[in-house]
Amino acid sequence: MGEIGGLAISLAFVVSLYGVAAPLLGQALKRPELARSGSAAVYANFLLLTIASAALLQALLARDFGNAYVASYSSRDLGFWYTLAAFWAGQAGSLLFWALLLTGFAALVVWRQSLYRELMPYVVATLMGTSAFFTMLLAFVSSPFTRVPFTPPDGSGLNPLLQNPGMFFHPPTQYLGYVGFTIPFAFAIAALATRRLDDEWIRATRRWTLMAWFFLTWGIIFGMQWAYVELGWGGYWAWDPVENASLMPWLTATAFLHSVMIQEKRGMLKVWNLVLIILTFALSIFGTFLTRSGVLSSVHSFALSSMGPLFFGFILLSLAAGFILLFVRLPALRSAPELDSLVSRESSFLFNNLILVGAAFSVFLGTIFPMLSEAVRGVKISVGPPFFNQVNVPIGLALLLLMGLCPLLAWRKASARNLTRNFLLPAGITVVAAGLMTASGPVHPIALVAFTLSIFTAASILQDFHRGVMVRRSHGETYPLAAARLVARNHRRYGGYVVHIGMILLFAGMAGSAFSAEREAVLKKGQSVALKQYTLRYEGPSQYSTRSAQVTAATLTVFNSSKPVAVLSPQRNFHKTHPDQPMTEVAIRSTMMEDLYIILAGLGEDGTANFRVIINPLMMWMWLGSAVLTLGTVIAFWPERGEALRNRSRYLVEGA
Amino acid sequence: MRIVWLVAVGAAFVLLVAPHHAHAGDRGLASAFMCQCGCGLTLASCTHASCGPRDQVLGEIAALERQGRSPAQITAALVGTYGEVILGAPTRRGFNLLAWWGPYGAIAAGAALILGLGMSWVRRPTVITPDSPPGLSPQQREHLERELVAFRD
Repeated sequence: MGEIGGLAISLAFVVSLYGVAAPLLGQALKRPELARSGSAAVYANFLLLTIASAALLQALLARDFGNAYVASYSSRDLGFWYTLAAFWAGQAGSLLFWALLLTGFAALVVWRQSLYRELMPYVVATLMGTSAFFTMLLAFVSSPFTRVPFTPPDGSGLNPLLQNPGMFFHPPTQYLGYVGFTIPFAFAIAALATRRLDDEWIRATRRWTLMAWFFLTWGIIFGMQWAYVELGWGGYWAWDPVENASLMPWLTATAFLHSVMIQEKRGMLKVWNLVLIILTFALSIFGTFLTRSGVLSSVHSFALSSMGPLFFGFILLSLAAGFILLFVRLPALRSAPELDSLVSRESSFLFNNLILVGAAFSVFLGTIFPMLSEAVRGVKISVGPPFFNQVNVPIGLALLLLMGLCPLLAWRKASARNLTRNFLLPAGITVVAAGLMTASGPVHPIALVAFTLSIFTAASILQDFHRGVMVRRSHGETYPLAAARLVARNHRRYGGYVVHIGMILLFAGMAGSAFSAEREAVLKKGQSVALKQYTLRYEGPSQYSTRSAQVTAATLTVFNSSKPVAVLSPQRNFHKTHPDQPMTEVAIRSTMMEDLYIILAGLGEDGTANFRVIINPLMMWMWLGSAVLTLGTVIAFWPERGEALRNRSRYLVEGA
Repeated sequence: MRIVWLVAVGAAFVLLVAPHHAHAGDRGLASAFMCQCGCGLTLASCTHASCGPRDQVLGEIAALERQGRSPAQITAALVGTYGEVILGAPTRRGFNLLAWWGPYGAIAAGAALILGLGMSWVRRPTVITPDSPPGLSPQQREHLERELVAFRD
């Protein structure tokens, strides 16, 4: 099977090159059958990479340790599901996964969106160009089918850090997000190449963009959740370069999702939207590049390699192709921008874009600054969480404020009367809430600002929604029916509002960290440690073996104001395949108000146990916010029949 | 005048909220220094269950604290031993100011650009565009009808 897999990858590379050349030549030579054969190449490419993926999965499940990849990332004691997940645990496998997703998406585009016939040759060429890059890496640089000279009796096993349920969710969703942005990028390139520069390419890819954004959001959230339960330091975001690399395309894509509305409604920001999608694609590749290149040290450093220059070259090529085309088409992109007023919803979208792209720039600058400093000053420096937290908190708060202001401003022009009418209630609620928070005791100033802005934003969104419902109620509908019909009539707007509510919960959860408390304690059996309202009594250690690890657990009884509420057992695990890498398995008790987070830092030979106990307030709000955000995205994603008909007829009219 | 107010409020917001000094957080100095084991995290958040470099620096900090050294003196001592790479955030001097103020400068420049462009867009006389698309040719109408029927089916 390994030979078949290797052959399939080599063929996929050749077919990808054909998929680039055929549509472009077909267009140039006016031979439509040649252009159409590019679409067939997409299906063939997907089939070949599916065969290669099946071959790798078969090698993993058959424990074929003669395959270098299988020997490096699995072992006989690895369970079925983690053996499957080893597919994307290493470099070659994850590149194959990337290419498989890309060609799968490309096949879907060719199948579902062939209606955009002027665009399709260039869409196919762009998608196949990206596929050619990844299949080239797989064929010549990092093959998942390389054989070892001597077959070892067992493999090295999966890194213990990766043996977490997050492995099934975080990498796939992250990659679905990264790969998904290739589709709007390909349509943007096609729009530039064909001079079809109105909002057709945006309408064609709206759902693709939303889907990619959704998966990238979940990739980030799954990563946070994984870091929280697995890395054992009490936090969920360490401003690690690879984490930053996923945040940057998320920020630019979020800006894009907002700014396309201005192009659709007012025909403005055509150049800006193209810039944003080119940047988002390049940053998605940059994310993969940072994970794979090893140019910056990271908690993801289990995936180092020397293929950085190739990724760097591909990023430069993508940026050059995108921006040169954009420059050439600038005269055709000139529109007649109109703003009725600077105090309008359009303006708030412009500032929202500014803040989002500013945040992406801030994260980018901080991430590459160690390299810049070394190049300019010759001095090695670190740019860690203290820097990112200080620089990005004001930017995040500004974004939160804009999220609240936007629904209060009317489209075109917000009059003084409109402003007074809309601001009065949310501002009043906010002032009262801020007063209550201040009166309740000392509050960290940044947390106070964050909570205040969260309340303001939530109030403004709910007020706008309520007013919409009341208008419908005046036609005799009940409140729930009016609310449901209001949402049904404008999925995008109200889906967006629900996403914003989810973001507010996420912000509030993050602000909660200002109230965290922590204590370290070395306890003998029967001794206790207290932190805030909790008392933890150490009941003693226990040891047992699992299929893959030797587990040492320390049992604690948790009392909340003298009342026993839980028995928790943080652990230290020694995996048989990685005995020199002890893993902490934290114990967490979650409530809506706070998480009690316990780390077993070590066990002494004298029978003592060293614990780190942390109270993380409002953590649950973050996960709840993620669920709300999902609901909002699904609402925004839901197709509107009228919209589909409008788009199709509009395209047919223009294309006929 | 309104724009001046907007800029002033924005600047006040940044100056009010942006912290001006390194602040170590809940875990004291452990959150202000980077672990030297290569994990890329602070001493407080190094993910390794056993970490020699982390424990060594934490030991040095504890020893300096026992000697009654202030946080600034401890920072100077650690920078003397390990270099600037030990600091969780770059110093606020020289070239490093680019990292500290670059993002705010970029956002301020972007805001100025939006305000400038926005004002010119507001002043521009309104262009009247037709509300409805131009009429369809009989072939186009027939094509559209055919496609719409197929789509509804």
